[in-house]
Amino acid sequence: MQRPDPRRGPFIHRLAAGLVLGAILLAGTAAGHGGSLASGARESIAIPLWLFLATGGGAVGASFLLASFVTDRLLVERLDDWRRAIPVPGERIVVRAMQSLGLIGLGAVIVFGLVGPPEAIANVSVLLVWVGWWSGLAMVAYLVGNPWPALNPWRTIAAVLPSLDRHYPDRLAAWPSVAGLLALVWIEVVSPLADDPRLLALVAIGYTLVTMVGVVLFGADVWFDRVDPVARVFSAYGHVAPLTRAPDGLSLRLPGVGLSRGVATDWSDVAFVVALVWTTTYDGMVATPLGDAIVVPLAEAGLPPVLVYAGGLLVGYALFLLAFWLAVRASQRITSTRLSVRQLAILFAPPLLAIAAGYHLAHYLGYFLNLVPAFVAAMTAPMAAPASVPVLAIPGWFSGIALAAVVLGHLLAIWIAHTVAYDVFPGRLQAIRSQYPLVIVMVVYTMVSLWIVTTPAIDPQYL
Amino acid sequence: MSNDTGRGTFAPEAFEGDPADAPHRCDRCGRPFEREEWLTLHRGLAHPGDLTDAEKEQFRAAHADEQAQLHRFRLIALGALVLIYFGLLLIYALLAL
Repeated sequence: MQRPDPRRGPFIHRLAAGLVLGAILLAGTAAGHGGSLASGARESIAIPLWLFLATGGGAVGASFLLASFVTDRLLVERLDDWRRAIPVPGERIVVRAMQSLGLIGLGAVIVFGLVGPPEAIANVSVLLVWVGWWSGLAMVAYLVGNPWPALNPWRTIAAVLPSLDRHYPDRLAAWPSVAGLLALVWIEVVSPLADDPRLLALVAIGYTLVTMVGVVLFGADVWFDRVDPVARVFSAYGHVAPLTRAPDGLSLRLPGVGLSRGVATDWSDVAFVVALVWTTTYDGMVATPLGDAIVVPLAEAGLPPVLVYAGGLLVGYALFLLAFWLAVRASQRITSTRLSVRQLAILFAPPLLAIAAGYHLAHYLGYFLNLVPAFVAAMTAPMAAPASVPVLAIPGWFSGIALAAVVLGHLLAIWIAHTVAYDVFPGRLQAIRSQYPLVIVMVVYTMVSLWIVTTPAIDPQYL
Repeated sequence: MSNDTGRGTFAPEAFEGDPADAPHRCDRCGRPFEREEWLTLHRGLAHPGDLTDAEKEQFRAAHADEQAQLHRFRLIALGALVLIYFGLLLIYALLAL
């Protein structure tokens, strides 16, 4: 079916658009190098904080302007649709092996959490959960592809359990996973889950029991698609990744394009995306002087710190939801579109997952590399008490990679939102304008994230 | 929300709000629009197969119009880029002195 001709720009336009896109990516790397220089040379030149943050915000704003130069609908469409099939020989064996690995992993977390050495840094259970899984596997999920559906030990167990197939109330949608994610992050922050292997093993047992009851009641598909926060976090990250599962093996796509359609279908999905973005921020914020400046006075006034942290988590989340909702409503007004705020929120929330992934990488890559040797050492001798625990020294320039990850996540989000806007709005200028409020929110958020990533972490007084 | 026919063709199952009072509506899919030019562009993008000659002509005109507007936008965007770049450059230069 041939479309009317004017849409086909001459080749030179497409070439120019390609160059602009390349420039966006280069701008991201350049900003990263600039950041690394800034942090390495801070003693000698001492760039003021406000200028450093303004540069990060400026890079995101500038890349929005660059993206807006790409006005060739066909180019946008081709980049979004490009796919390569990758056949996987012996797929069933690979999946079986991954399922076994997942079961062994869960078993190891529980057994060595209970009987392994009590020192967190030498305990397989602690290292497997925080280094191997929450850092490493999550990185694999957004950098390569989501392996969790095959690894997920609870899904493997669920396959052999009977199911009562109770009807899952539709109006609950994915709200339980939003509450679950907030609860998990709260528990992670206020409890010594990363220091106490025994407690970690008990939480793993508790999570297993809850999940088993859930899958028996409602069936594994409903449970892992709508309720289980862990499966939904990995699935959300997986949409950022270039590899995805296809009916016959794997499919390769450009990073981030998995976010351009079909990721969210209702408000609860939007709320989950915003919760993921907020919790990664919150996780970093509690270890900054600002976090303590808020918590300490409230705790000294007699409030239990555990509740103060819960309150902070909820208030911050409400603010993030409000900012996103206001931006989307402003976008609706600017474009005078007849689409509802709900429809626009469903379309423009998923690109934010690229930001969450970038922020996760910034937050955890150094931590991961630092502890990988300890992880390997503990795996080879799980019962041995530590004589000396090997860790990898992270060089100073490494913080530049963290800054680059934050900025690159935003660049990817801006490009995907550009793609979505072109899909939604018939007018191209209308599509560009629809992004103004969202870009302003992103610029502010970039500056907040950069501030958190570069602020030296403190030991919070009440944790 | 499947959408496999190309960009500018976003088609949700239902248009929310109150589309009945919309000034313009697509007679093929019912999508409401605030301005006639958007309806014209939408028809060309989403329903290219069954346009009348008059509608094709309208689409070409609206597209040319849009092209001119984009041209103006690009100049302003370029100005903003230059401002961000040289603004930051200047500040860095001043602080380095």
